[in-house]
Amino acid sequence: MTEQTEMLHPAATTLAREVRAGKLSRREFLSRATALGLTAPAAYGLLGLAAPAKAQDAKVGGILRVGMEVKAQKDPRTADWPHISNVYRGWLEYLVQYNPDGSFEGRLLESWEANEDATQYTLKVRPGVTWNNGDAFTADDVVRMFERWTDASVEGNAMASRFMGLVDEATKSLRDGAVVKIDDLTVQLVMSLSDVAVIANLADYPAAVVHSSYVDGSDPSANPIGTGPYLPKEIGVGQRAILARNEDHTWWGGTVPLDEIHYIDFGTDPAAMVALAGSDEIDCNYESTGEFIDVLDGLGWNKLEAVTASTIVMRMNSANGDLYKEKSVRQALQRAVDPAVILELGYNGLGTTAENHHACPVHPEYAEIPKVAPDPAGLKPVLEAAGMANTEFELISLDDGWEAASTDAVAAQLRDAGANIKRTVMPGSTFWNDWQKYPFSSTTWNHRPLAVQNMSLAYTSTGSWNETGMANADFDAAMTKALSLADADDRREVMVTLQTILQDEGYIIQPFWRSLYRHARDGVNIDMHPSFEHHHYKWSVA
Amino acid sequence: MLPFLLRRVGVMILTALTLSFVVFSLTNLAPNLEKLARTEGSVRMTDDAVLSWIENNGHGGLMVTRYGQWLGVVPGWVRTDDRGVTRGRCITRDVTAEAAPRYCGILQGDWGTSTVFREPVSKTIADKLGATGWLMMWVMLVMVPVSLIIGVLSGMREGSRTDRVLSTFAIATTATPEYVSGVILVVIFASATTGISPLLAEWGWISGRTLFLGTATSATDKITFWNFALPVMTIALYGIGYIARMTRASMTEVMTQQYIRTARLKGVAFHQVILKHALRNALIAPFTVIMLQFPWLLNGVVIVETLFNYKGFGWTLVQAAGNNDIQLLLACSVVAVFVVLVTQLISDVGYVFLNPRIRLS
Repeated sequence: MTEQTEMLHPAATTLAREVRAGKLSRREFLSRATALGLTAPAAYGLLGLAAPAKAQDAKVGGILRVGMEVKAQKDPRTADWPHISNVYRGWLEYLVQYNPDGSFEGRLLESWEANEDATQYTLKVRPGVTWNNGDAFTADDVVRMFERWTDASVEGNAMASRFMGLVDEATKSLRDGAVVKIDDLTVQLVMSLSDVAVIANLADYPAAVVHSSYVDGSDPSANPIGTGPYLPKEIGVGQRAILARNEDHTWWGGTVPLDEIHYIDFGTDPAAMVALAGSDEIDCNYESTGEFIDVLDGLGWNKLEAVTASTIVMRMNSANGDLYKEKSVRQALQRAVDPAVILELGYNGLGTTAENHHACPVHPEYAEIPKVAPDPAGLKPVLEAAGMANTEFELISLDDGWEAASTDAVAAQLRDAGANIKRTVMPGSTFWNDWQKYPFSSTTWNHRPLAVQNMSLAYTSTGSWNETGMANADFDAAMTKALSLADADDRREVMVTLQTILQDEGYIIQPFWRSLYRHARDGVNIDMHPSFEHHHYKWSVA
Repeated sequence: MLPFLLRRVGVMILTALTLSFVVFSLTNLAPNLEKLARTEGSVRMTDDAVLSWIENNGHGGLMVTRYGQWLGVVPGWVRTDDRGVTRGRCITRDVTAEAAPRYCGILQGDWGTSTVFREPVSKTIADKLGATGWLMMWVMLVMVPVSLIIGVLSGMREGSRTDRVLSTFAIATTATPEYVSGVILVVIFASATTGISPLLAEWGWISGRTLFLGTATSATDKITFWNFALPVMTIALYGIGYIARMTRASMTEVMTQQYIRTARLKGVAFHQVILKHALRNALIAPFTVIMLQFPWLLNGVVIVETLFNYKGFGWTLVQAAGNNDIQLLLACSVVAVFVVLVTQLISDVGYVFLNPRIRLS
C-alpha cells in the first residue's frame, strides 16, 4: 500500500476526501481516479473499501448463444459498430478497458500515470503478455498502435481525431517524439496540449490492438493474430460468428470459462428476439428495448441493466435547413417539448429526463445549471413572428423501435403546440446515408465516459460528427479549454458555459438518458455494458 | 424441337442481359453507390471520403464500361492509390497485380465478390440456392400431392358438400398472402405466450416452451420437422389453394365431356372413370400451373425466408438489395431469369407429352 501511495496522483487523494465529504459519488470517483492512473483495487482502497470480487470459480466449459447482428469485420480503427468489435474482441484486446461501474482497468497496460496538467502520460505495458503466434507484447506494439490510430489519411479512421495532442497538423499523422518508447515495458506520451480523454479513448471499441503482421484495411479475422483468449472459428456475415477458445495459446489472464461463444444473427426486429427467447434458440440477447423489456421479463428471463449516458437527440441543422437558421425558432421548438412525456411515451420511462445539453449527471464533470421549464404555449407566437405559422417542418427518424416512438412523441408535442409537423421514417439502410445532413431528424448517441467527448465530437464547429451545423466560437473556445483541464472539478466550471451555450442555441431536443438493458436466461452469467462491450472472459454458464 | 429449344435459349440470354443491365444501372445510381461506400468504408465518413472511395474502388467512369467489365468484354479496372497500393477488379488477396488477368467478368466465369458476405458471389449463390432448394423441395412434396387431391376430390362432383368444404379451404388459403399466414402460424404454433404452445407446455406434452421453432435458422445446419414445418407450410398453403382451384376447374370441365358420360353409361365404376379416363386430361392445366409455381416460389421465399430467418436465396436477395451489393444482385437476377425460363421450357416440353395435339413449332 505504501508503494501505491507514493505513486498516487495528487488529485486522487483530494477526490477521495470529496467522496468522504459527500461531494462526489462513488461512481464518479472511480471513473475519475482510475482515469488518473489508479488501479481499480487501489481506487476502492482509497475509499476504505474492498474491490468487488470477480465471478468466483466460474464453471469452465459451455457454449453461450448470443442473439446479435453479425456485421462484416473491418479494420478495427474503422469499426463503426460495437457489434463488429464484439466479434474481434475474441482475439484482439485493448490497452485499457472501461468497466460497467465507470472505472478504467488496465488490460494490455498494467498501469498509467498522468502529470499535473495531463500533457504527459506514462504507460506501463503489462509484462508476460504474448500474441497467439508466440511473439511477446512490448512497448513497440504500443508505439505502433499510436501510429495506426493517428493516421488521418485512412478513410473512416475513427481513432484519428482522438489524439489531437499527438498529431502533427501538417502531415496528419503521428508527430515525431510524441510517443516515446522508454524501455521495453514503458511508453511515454508527450502531448502538445492537455487531453483528459486519452485513457477513455484507449478503451473505446475501435482501439483494439492488432499485430504487426496485420494488413491495413483487411479483415482482422482472415489472419487472427491477437493477444486474446479466443479465435474466430466461423464468421458468416448476417448469419453467425463463432468464437472458440484458443487451446494453443496461453492467455495472460488464465483460462476463460466459456468453450465457445456463438453470435447468431436474427435481424433487427426486437419481436424476433422475443420469439427466439421463447423457443430457447438463444441464451441472451444484445439489447432489450422499449416494451420488449417487459415482455422478456414476463418470459422469466433475467434483466441486466447498465446506467448510461446513452441518449437520443432530435436535432435541427442550420447548415442544411433554412427553417432552422433562426435561434428563436429553434429555442421555441426545443422548449415546446416536455422531456418527461417523451421518456414515458418513447422509452416506457426506462431512464431519466435530460436537460437539452447532452451532459449527464453520471459524467464526472456534469455541472448543474438552472432548469428550463417546458413552454409549449411559447411556440406559436414565435412561429408567427418568424412568418412560419403554416410552414411544414419535416421530422425524420429511423423506422422502428424506441427511436421512432420517441420521435413520434416529439412530433405530437410540437403539433399540440401549434407547429405543422410532417413525420418521415426511413429504414436504417437509407437513414444512415445522410444522418448528418437532414434538416431535422433524430440521432442516437452512445454512452461515452466523459461529457466532453460527445460534446467535442458533435457540437464544436470542427467536430467530425457535427450534425447541427452549430458553429459557436465561444463554445469552441470553451471546449478547447475544457479539454485541457485534467481535474474534473476545474472542468465543471467550463462545463457551465458549454452546457448553457448548447442549451441556449436550441439546436437539440435531448429528452432523456436511457438505461440500457439486455436479458439472459437463468444460469447465464454475463453483464450489460454501457457501451455494449462484450467482455467475454467475464462470462460463464452454470 | 431443336429450333424451338435454341430459340428459347436465345430468349433466355437476351432476357438475362437486359435484366442484368437494368439491375446494374439501378444499383449504380449515385445514391446507391454512396450507400455502398458508407457500408463498406464507414457509416460516418465525410462526403469527400465517400467520393474518393467510389473512385478508388472502380465505381467511377462510364456505366456501360463498368457493365462491360462485369460481363468480361472490357478489361477490369486497375488503380494505384496515393500510397502505392494497386487494387483492381481482377486483383484479390490470392492474385497479385502482376499475375492478374486483364478480363474477369462472367464470361471468364468470375462472378465477382459479394461486398455483404465478403466471399465470392458464386459461392454465396451456390450455398444459398442449395438452402432454398431444400425448402422448395419440401414445399413441392407437400404442395403438389395435397393440392391435386383436393382439386380432384372437389372437381369430380361439382357442387357437392365435399366440393363446397374443400373449395372454401382452397379459396381461404390462396387469399391469404405468405406474410399473413406466416405470422398466424407463428402465433399459433411457435410462440411461448400465445396459441397452443403454453397449453401444451402446461400439460407437460412438450419439454421446451414452444411446439415448433419460430425461426428456421437452425435448419441451415440440420433440417428437422420442428424447425422446417412452419416455413414449408407457409409457402405451401398459398400454392395449395391456387393449384387446387385450377385442378378443380379442369376436373369439372373434363367430367362434363361426352367420353366420361359414355364410360359411366357403359357401367364402368366411378373410381375407374376418375383414375383411368378423367385424370390424365384433367392434369394438363395444373401441370402448367405447377411449373409456374417455381417463379412464384422464388418470389415467396423472399418473404418467408426473411420472416423465418432462413438463410437462403430470398434472404440473400434482401440482404444484397438492402446493402446495394452490386455483384450479388446481378448474379441473383441472372439466376432468377434462368429459373423462370427453364421451368417454363420444361412446362412447354412437358405439355407436348401430356397432350399429343400440341406441336412445339
